[in-house]
This record gives sequence, structure tokens and C-alpha cells, in this order.
Amino acid sequence: MELILVLLPLALLFAGLAVALFIWAVRKGQFDDLETPAMRILFDDEPAPKKTEPAKNRPKDEEKGDR
Amino acid sequence: MPMDAAARCDHCGLPVPAAFARPDEALQFCCGGCRSVYGLLHDLGFDQYYRLRDADGAPPVPARVTGRSYQDFDDDAFAAEHARPTDRGTCRTRLYLEGVHCAACVWLVERLPAFQSGVVSVRLNLPRAQAEVEWDPAAVRLSEVARALDRLGYAPHPWRHKDIESLRKSEDRSLLIRVGVAVACAMNIMMLQGALYAGEYQGIEPVFVGFFRWLALALSLPVMLYSARPFYTAAWSGIRQRVPHVDLPIAIAILGAFAFSAAGVIAGDGPIYFDSVSMLVALLLGGRFLQSRAQRAAVERSEALRGIAFVEFAHLLVEGDGSREVPVESLKPGQRVEILSGELVPADGVVEAGESAVDNSVLTGESMPIPVHPGVEVSAGATNRGARIVLVVRAAGEGTRVGALLRMVDEAASGKAPLVRAADGWSRWFVLGVLGLAAVTAAIWLPEGLESALTHVVALLVVSCPCALALGTPVAMTVGVSRAARIGIFLKGPDVIERLREVRTVLLDKTGTLTEGRLAVVEHDLDADTAARVVVLEAQSSHPIALAMRGKMGTDTDFPVPIFPILPVEDVQESLGRGIRGTVGGRSVAAGNLAHLESLAIPIPDAWRTTADNAAARGLSPVLVAVDGTIRGLVALGDPLRPEARHTIDALRRRGWRPTILSGDHPAVVARVADALGIPQGDAHGGLTPEAKRDFVASLAQGRGSSQSGRVLMVGDGVNDAAALALADVGVSVHGGAGPSLAAADVVFTRQGLDPLLQLELGSRLTLRIIHRNLLLSLCYNFFGIFLAMSGLVGPLLAAVLMPVSSLTVILSSVAGRTFFRPAARGESRPWS
Repeated sequence: MELILVLLPLALLFAGLAVALFIWAVRKGQFDDLETPAMRILFDDEPAPKKTEPAKNRPKDEEKGDR
Repeated sequence: MPMDAAARCDHCGLPVPAAFARPDEALQFCCGGCRSVYGLLHDLGFDQYYRLRDADGAPPVPARVTGRSYQDFDDDAFAAEHARPTDRGTCRTRLYLEGVHCAACVWLVERLPAFQSGVVSVRLNLPRAQAEVEWDPAAVRLSEVARALDRLGYAPHPWRHKDIESLRKSEDRSLLIRVGVAVACAMNIMMLQGALYAGEYQGIEPVFVGFFRWLALALSLPVMLYSARPFYTAAWSGIRQRVPHVDLPIAIAILGAFAFSAAGVIAGDGPIYFDSVSMLVALLLGGRFLQSRAQRAAVERSEALRGIAFVEFAHLLVEGDGSREVPVESLKPGQRVEILSGELVPADGVVEAGESAVDNSVLTGESMPIPVHPGVEVSAGATNRGARIVLVVRAAGEGTRVGALLRMVDEAASGKAPLVRAADGWSRWFVLGVLGLAAVTAAIWLPEGLESALTHVVALLVVSCPCALALGTPVAMTVGVSRAARIGIFLKGPDVIERLREVRTVLLDKTGTLTEGRLAVVEHDLDADTAARVVVLEAQSSHPIALAMRGKMGTDTDFPVPIFPILPVEDVQESLGRGIRGTVGGRSVAAGNLAHLESLAIPIPDAWRTTADNAAARGLSPVLVAVDGTIRGLVALGDPLRPEARHTIDALRRRGWRPTILSGDHPAVVARVADALGIPQGDAHGGLTPEAKRDFVASLAQGRGSSQSGRVLMVGDGVNDAAALALADVGVSVHGGAGPSLAAADVVFTRQGLDPLLQLELGSRLTLRIIHRNLLLSLCYNFFGIFLAMSGLVGPLLAAVLMPVSSLTVILSSVAGRTFFRPAARGESRPWS
């Protein structure tokens, strides 16, 4: 059981490391905007920007859906 | 959703006005901005924008393309102030983007490097509407980047107030770090104390007891010394200013419990409360962080708006070289500028050439455009509604009438006393009560020794610590503010919710608030054939009345012809300020005022004369229509009421609010509007200058102490309302308001119309109800805990359980309560225009 006397400070050291990482992330500005990145994740990656859609003039009904 | 007669815009989804309807085309647009943005997106193959936008469910916003050249963005002075060079030879700048509102906007703005060469990257922060642009100055000018953003419908502006912003950012970050440290330590302390609690029941070796207690003490040091510091400073400054700050009881509780526990650890005996104390700090800081997050975005957006000059650029005429776009600040008296149709007048001055009409509604509240011709003075900030005019500058910038108005707004805004965050009645009595009970407890337990008395007093302080009490209000407010933002109501501070409760008087601007702020056909009695002829004839003119008669906006007061037949038009003659005549489809058609028809020798029967005079007496502009020399009908133009205005006013009155109209428009027009809304004439004030509006609000605020007028809510949209908005207890700027009014208001609507006003009232009432429920809940917990502590039943373990449970109840109650919500489909299906 005496191992706890060593393991516990060691565990706390890890916790301290996590806190240090957190502080680093905050200072880097990673938490400055919590809303936009949540939207950004939804965007498809588009390697080619000039992608021609087959249906250029989509039927209007598609847009008239409830919003 | 009912079937709409009018088609919907293929870009933004708003109904399409008849003037823009093109029956032969598959795609329909509500304005030129939407048409050009749609075309651009299709050429680029960016149709994904629409899929993202529809998935997001954001309210429709028409695109606005200013078409300005942004030449001033290339000035060296501009670069020195706003651009920062990077190591890679590129430059970065921050721009405020008008019109960004949903996920699809983020996607589109960040696609900029794909079609504008030279742009390295763009990152958009949506809540702040702030884009961080990195570009290669060797490959592209910033003005080109700005024009590209403008073509997408996001007019860019330089981001000012950088100093305040970076200060706030570091404040935000340090608060977040405090929260993080407190949570990490509290969790570990809980683990240690959990082992100690278990040990009390199952047995534990004394060496571990000492070890765990010392570790818990060590872990709570960062919480006490670093994380909790904001409480100490706030409590201390409250003591120095002799205001009982809400943080005072918190500071007393955490310092007392910590000192007692630390003494216990050093003595090797006695209960310890490190877990309760550190958890309390973590929860309170977390709540505070969320609260500042929720309101910061709204505040920063409004500050960005304040930084944008109301009138930004002018087309300076250069001898023999056309015109050049220059910033307004550089204009000098005597210079000549041209003002194209639809543009803002950049400076006070005298018209030198051109005949047109200018719209002063934003400055004065007048709903009728004023005809101008050479020699007439016009003010900066007015909108040119007709043809191009040339202006000789008399005063620019600060020296203009609008400059003086903006200074007045700033004065009013800075004169408003900031709300002192004092403990409210409830918690002040609560603190006194707890201190009294602590004294009683000490007296009860003193016979059993000082240590026993101290133990019980500390247990009482910890268990009755106003954690839930202190959390109850901010959490409910934060939830309210963020929910309101989601339905298009931006509250710049949570205290607005409290102030709304005491509102008794609601002051409403007329032009642009109760009405739609544009000229339209309000009444007419034309048959379909005459209507078609008049519309085709008026299509030849760019006069505001002609524009209004062309624009069928899909409401039932407009002409009965949805799509006008194409008739040949010949011999068009326009006489300024009077009317127009021409031959349409082989018949001679004339439309204009009495003088115009008289000058054409058309006989006017007395009945028509009376009708026209009646319309004029009600503040409308009558236009008589004659076909082949006989009068065929009358069209009355005015600024139409918003369709929901009557309903809104009635609902507000039922809530006990007294609606009053404050308008700069002609009293006859104001009287007509008040009549239509059922507002007594005594409460309808017309012909007010911006100063008079401000003084009206100030006088109500003065008399608040004596009379039952209660607090004052002001709703407006123009520059002329801005000072009154800033001075009112709650200032509300409706959608489409001028920049200065958005910046001055406490609440900004991003949905059109007056419906959000009712939701604001209801939502804040429900939020207050939840706050009261929270206070009641936490008081119940506290009385229960105090009772247990006084009878000596509560130890550190029970305190550790009771405290978070009470906080959790309060948080759940705040989140589960229904506050600001979207109304049923009724409000949604209404045409927005």
C-alpha cells in the first residue's frame, strides 16, 4: 500500500501536465471562438474549387422548402 | 406555410417585389444584390452555399453589394494602422464583415482564397463578424480583396478598437485559465477527500490520513491563491466603496472555510472542507465565464458598428478625370462630389447640378423624400433616391449635422450610469441572516468548548454558503441571453432582463419602426387597365414616387395586377416635383399632383379635388391619374404600417405598457399612424428633433421617482433616435436600423419587424420567473442545511454532498426552463418585406 505515497504524487504530476497543456492552448487562442469551428467541421473538403455541378439551375422547389 | 402569390428570391428566400419579377426567367431575385451574388456563386461552382444555408435554418437576409472601390484600403496610412506583416512576407488584417449570419457564410468567406488569387487564408469568427485575412501584398492589393468580399455581399470594414479588444481577450483567457485550474484541483481534492470519507467508515491507516490531508491542502492552494482572486478583489473594492457586493459573502465563506481547514491540517485534527471550497470556486467561476462569453459577442459587434463611420466614402470629382473614391474624412469645403442614385450624401453642401429627391428619414424621421435641385442644401447621411446629383461640399465629417448628432449619441451613451452589481435585496438579507444564525450557533455550542463551537459555525457557513443563490441569477440570465440570440434578439447585457420588468412606457419611433420606412402605395382606386398603364409610364422615371408605384410588394394595398403587360411607351415628359405624362399603348396617360394635371389642361371635378385634399390631410401624397384627358383614379402614397404593428401595440398594451409615438415626421402623418394603431392623440408626438426625442426620454427618466411611469423602453432605428435609445432604460434597435442606433441600443433585433419585441417581453418575463424559482430552491436547500448544521448533524461529508446538489438543481432548473423561443409558424410565414 505504501506505493500510493509514490503513485499519487506521480498522478498529480500528470494532472499538472494536463493543466499546463490547457493553459498553453488557451494562450494560443484555441478557445477564443467556440461557435465557428463547430460549423466549420460540417464543411466538405473541396480539393478542386472549380467543380461544375451537373444541375446548374436546380428546380426551384428544392429551395422553397420550409425554413 | 400558406401559398405566397409572390415568388421567393432564389438567393435569400424573401418575397420578390413585382418591379424585380421577371416572369420569363426561371430564377427570381428580390434585389440587385441577391442577383449578382447568386450569379457569382454559380460561376464559381459554389452551390454548396445554399445547401449549407438551408441546413442551418438561419433567417433570410438579402445580400447587399455596395459596389464601392475600396481604394482607401490601399493607402499607406491605412496599411500602417490596420495591416500586420508576417514572417512569410504576407500581411494580415482584421475586417468587420457586414451581413455574415450563418454557417454558410463562414464557408463562403473562407473559400475566398479559391477564387481571389493572392489571398493566403481567411478565418471568420462568426459571433464577432470578424474575418482575419492573410494576403500576399506582392500578388494582390487589399482593395481587390475587399471588393471580392463586397461582391459576395459581405461589405468589409476595418476593425477598430484593437486595444480594448486585446485587453478583453486577455481578460477572457485568464478567466478561462482560472476556471481550468480550479476544476482540475477541485476534482483531485474530491478524490483525496473521497478516500478520507471512505476511510472513516472502513478504516484507514493514520499515515495515509495525514498524507491525503496535506495533499488536499497543497492542491487547494492554487485555487485559493490564483483562481479565487477575482472574488477577493471584487469584495474588497465593494467594501471600500461601501456597497455590499455579491462577492462579499462568497469571499468570507471560502476564506473562512479554508483557514479553518488549513488550521485543522496543521494541528492534525478537525474536519476539512477543501473539496467544498474548491468546487464552489470552480462552479462560480465557470458560471461567470459563460456569462461573459454570452454577452461579449453582442457588445463587440456593436462596438465594431460604432467604429464604422456612418458615411464612409465619397465620389470626389476630379477636373477632367471623372470621379475618385475617397474617404469622407479627407473631404474639404469647396470640393465637388457626385452622389449616384441610392448612395448616401457624404457631406453637408449645396446641390450644383442634377435634379433628384433625397430621403432624410434616417436623420429626421420624415417619411417623404424631399425634391432637390441646384441651389438646395442637403445634409450628410441623407439618401439620394433619384438621379445623380453633384454637390459642392460646405462641411464634412465632424462639422456636419449628422456629425453633431453622433456626438450627441456618444454623450448620451457615456452619461448613462453603469449598473452597479450590488447584492440585491434577497441576498443581502440572506447574508445578514446567516451571520446572525452563526452567532446563535456559536452561543449554543460554546458551553461544549471553543473548538466545538468553531466547528459548527464553519459547518454552517459552508453549508449555507450562497453558492446556489449566487449561481441562480447569472446562469438563468446567461441561458436567456444565448437563447434570445438564437431567435434574433441580441441583448448586450443581462441586466436588460431585469430592467424590462419595470417598464411601463414604451416609446416608439414611427418611420422605419412602426412603418416600413419606405414609400409605397397605401390606397388606390384604379382599375387593372389604368394601373397597368400608370405602372408602365412610371417605369420611365427614377423619381421616388415613380419607384414606389412600380414596386408591388405583395401586400393587399397594392395594385391588383401581379405582372404588368408590356405596352409601348412614347412621348414621356416628366416635370419635376409635379408628375409625368406620356403615351402608353396609344392612349395619353398623365399622373401627378393637382398642379400637374391643371397645367395639362385636364378638368378636375370637385369630388376628386376633395379626395386628394383628404389624402393630403392624412399625410399621404395623392397622385391623380388621367387617361385621355379624364381623371380615372387616385393613388395615395405613404409609408405603410408594418403588418404586425397593430397586433404588437395591442399586446403591449395588454401587458400594461403604455405605447407612445415619438417621431420627427410631420404631425399629420403621425396622427394618421396613431389613429390606425388606436393610440390616443395625446401620446403621439410628431415633428420632434433628435434633441427633443432625447429630452423627452430624459424627462421621463427624471420623473421616474415620483410618478408611476416606471422604466422607459425606446424602440427606434434612425440616427435621430440613437441618443434617445442610449438614454432610455432599455433601448431597442429594430432590424435594418442605422449603424449609430444599433451601437447605442441595449437590444438589437436581427429579425425583421416588431414581433421580436413581444418575444423579448415574454422571454425576459419567463427568465425572471426562473430566477425567482432558483432563488426559492436554493433558499430551501440553505434552510435545510442550516437547520442540520445548527443541530450539529452536518459534517464535512454532508456539506460536500449538499453543496453541489443544490448548485446542480439550480443549473438544471435554468436550462430546462422555457424562456426565449421562436413563436409558432404565424410569424414565420408572413412576407418579410
